[in-house]
Amino acid sequence: MSQPALDEIHLKVDDLRISFGGVQALAGVSLDVRRGEIFSLIGPNGAGKTVLLNCINGLYPPKAGRILFEGRDMTSLRPHQRAALGIARTFQKIELFSGMTVLDNIRLGRHLHMRAGILSGACYVGKAAREELVHREFIEREIIDLLEIAHIRDKIVGMLPYGLQKRVELARALALQPRILLLDEPMAGLNLEEVEDMARFILDLNEGERWRATCVLVEHDMGVVMDISNRVAVLNFGEKIAEGPPAEVQANPEVVRAYLGEVEDLYVSRR
Amino acid sequence: MYLPSGVYHEHYAQDQAWWRTTFIRAKMVVLFLFLLVIFPLGANLYLVSVANIIGYTILSAMGVQLLIGYCGQITLGHAAFIAVGAYVSAIAMLQYQLPYPVGLVLGAIAAGLWSVLFGLPSARVKGFYLIMTTMAAQFITVDFFITQYVSQVGGRGTFFSLPPGTIRIGPWTIDSELKVYYVMIVLVILCTTGMANLLRTRVGRAWIAIRDNDIAAEAMGVNIFKYKLLAYFVAGVLGGIAGAFWISSILAVSPEHFQFSWSLWIVGVILIGGAGSLHGTIFGAMFITLILEGLKFAIIPLSDSFPALQERFLYVKEAAFGLAIVLFLLYEPKGLAYRWQQIKNYFNLWPFSY
Repeated sequence: MSQPALDEIHLKVDDLRISFGGVQALAGVSLDVRRGEIFSLIGPNGAGKTVLLNCINGLYPPKAGRILFEGRDMTSLRPHQRAALGIARTFQKIELFSGMTVLDNIRLGRHLHMRAGILSGACYVGKAAREELVHREFIEREIIDLLEIAHIRDKIVGMLPYGLQKRVELARALALQPRILLLDEPMAGLNLEEVEDMARFILDLNEGERWRATCVLVEHDMGVVMDISNRVAVLNFGEKIAEGPPAEVQANPEVVRAYLGEVEDLYVSRR
Repeated sequence: MYLPSGVYHEHYAQDQAWWRTTFIRAKMVVLFLFLLVIFPLGANLYLVSVANIIGYTILSAMGVQLLIGYCGQITLGHAAFIAVGAYVSAIAMLQYQLPYPVGLVLGAIAAGLWSVLFGLPSARVKGFYLIMTTMAAQFITVDFFITQYVSQVGGRGTFFSLPPGTIRIGPWTIDSELKVYYVMIVLVILCTTGMANLLRTRVGRAWIAIRDNDIAAEAMGVNIFKYKLLAYFVAGVLGGIAGAFWISSILAVSPEHFQFSWSLWIVGVILIGGAGSLHGTIFGAMFITLILEGLKFAIIPLSDSFPALQERFLYVKEAAFGLAIVLFLLYEPKGLAYRWQQIKNYFNLWPFSY
C-alpha cells in the first residue's frame, strides 16, 4: 500500500459522454484522480474502462463533458499535445514500434524532451550529437536499470516475448517523464512472476523520488488492484457505480451485483 | 547486434557509433578510397557513365525510400519533384545566370516545398487513396505545369539545353563524365550521410514510429501531421537534388525525362533493394542499372539473328524490370539489403553459425 495521497485533484473527468453507434460507452462519468495516487478503474468487460482511458488520452473525442488536467481544460487538445502536458500511457493490446529496437522505442518516448530538427539532425554535430548521448545516459540509468531490461536493449521489439514487450511499453511511457501514467491492463497475459514484477514497477514509479507519477490503472487482476490502489472506481455499462478505497468498494453490494449478478437471478435460474 | 568478442565500449558515444571496430573502419577507408580515387582513375569512360546513372538512381530513389521505407507513406509521383529540381536549377542558371551550386540549392528547396503541397492529403488519407493523390502530383506537375508553362520560359521550346560551360562550380567547369562522377559521388555521400544521421536522431525516429504505429506515436507526443510533412519536404529536397544533379550530366532538360514510368521505376528500385534500408537504396539502384547494361550486352550479339530485339530494346528493358520486381517480391521480399545482411552474418559467425 502506498502512502495516502494528497488531496489535490490532478485529473478531473467531468460528466463524460461518448457513444458508438447505438451503444452508449460512457454515460456521464465523473471522476477525480488525486495527485500521487494509484487510481484503479475496474468493471466487467465492455464497461467502458478503456474508452475512458482513450478519452483522457485524446484518442477519442467525447460527445460531451470535460477533462481537466491540473485545473486546465484539455478536452479539445490532440493526443500529442496532451503528451506534452505530461500524460503518457500504455495500451491493452501492445502498441510498440515493432520494427525498432528496444532502445529506439524508449528513445522515441524522449521525443518531447529532445530538440534536434532536420538540419542539426542531418549534420549530427555539436548539440544534436550531445543530446543523443545525454538522453541515452538518462534512459540507461533511470529506465533500463529500473525496469531490468538491459539484456534486451538492442533487440528488435517485435521479436520479444509478450511479457517483455509489456515492460518495454512501460519503459517507453516512462521516458516521457509523465505526470500522469495511464496503464491499460498492464498485467493482462503475464505469468505470476511477471505480474509481481509489474506491480513492483508500478509502485516504484508511483513512489520513487524521480518519478512520482500519478497512475490510472485499468486492470482485471483483482488481487493486484486491491493491493496497490489507493482508490478504486467501478464502471458498469458506461456508468460509475462505486468509488472509494479498495476495501469499501469490495463490500459494495452494487459492485457485487455488477460482477456476479442479482442474488434473486441466481435463485430464478436454479428453479 | 553483432560485435566480435573482445570489443568493449566505455562510453555511449562508442556504442552508438556507426563503425565500431578497427576492422570496419579499415573497410570503410578502403571503400572510400575505391570510390574517390581508384574507380575514377582506373575505370574507362563507359564504366564511369554507368556509375553516374547509378548515382542518379540512388539520389532519385532516396526520397522514395524515406517516404515508403521509413515513414510508411506512399509516393508514386516522385519524378515530379525531381523535375521541379531540374527545372528550377536550369532556369536559375539560364534566366538568372546564377552559379550551379546556388541553382542546385534553389532547386532542392523548391522541390521540397512543392512536395509538401502534395503531402498535405496524407493528413487525411492513407493507402490506396494516398497513391492516387501522389499520382496526381506526377500529372499535375509534369504533364500540366511543366509541359504547358514552365518549359515555355525563355522561349526555348520544350527542350532546354544547357550550353557547354554553364555548369561550373567556382572555377571548375563540369564538362566531362569524370567531373560529373565527382559531383555525383559527393552528392551521394552527403545525402546518404545526412539521411543516416537523420534516422538516428529525433526526426528519423519519429518517422519510423509513424510507419510502425501512428496511434502510439501520437500518444507519445509526436505531431504526426508535422512529421509527415517534414518527411515529404526532405523527400522532395532529395528529389530536387537528384534532378539538379542530372542536368549536369545530360546538359538538357525536357519533360520526357520525368515521366510516370520513372516514378514507378524508382519505387521498384527500393522494392528490389529493400524497403526501410539505406543500403537497399544503393543495392537496388546498382542492381537495376547493371541488369539493364547487362541486357544490352546480351542483346547486341543476339541482334544479328533477331534484328527485332534491337529496335524493341525499350520494351525488353521494361519487361525485364517488371520480371525482376515480381521475382523479388516472390522470392526475396525483404530485398537485397536483407540478403546482404544474411551474407555478412554468415561470415561473421563462420564457422560456428549457431
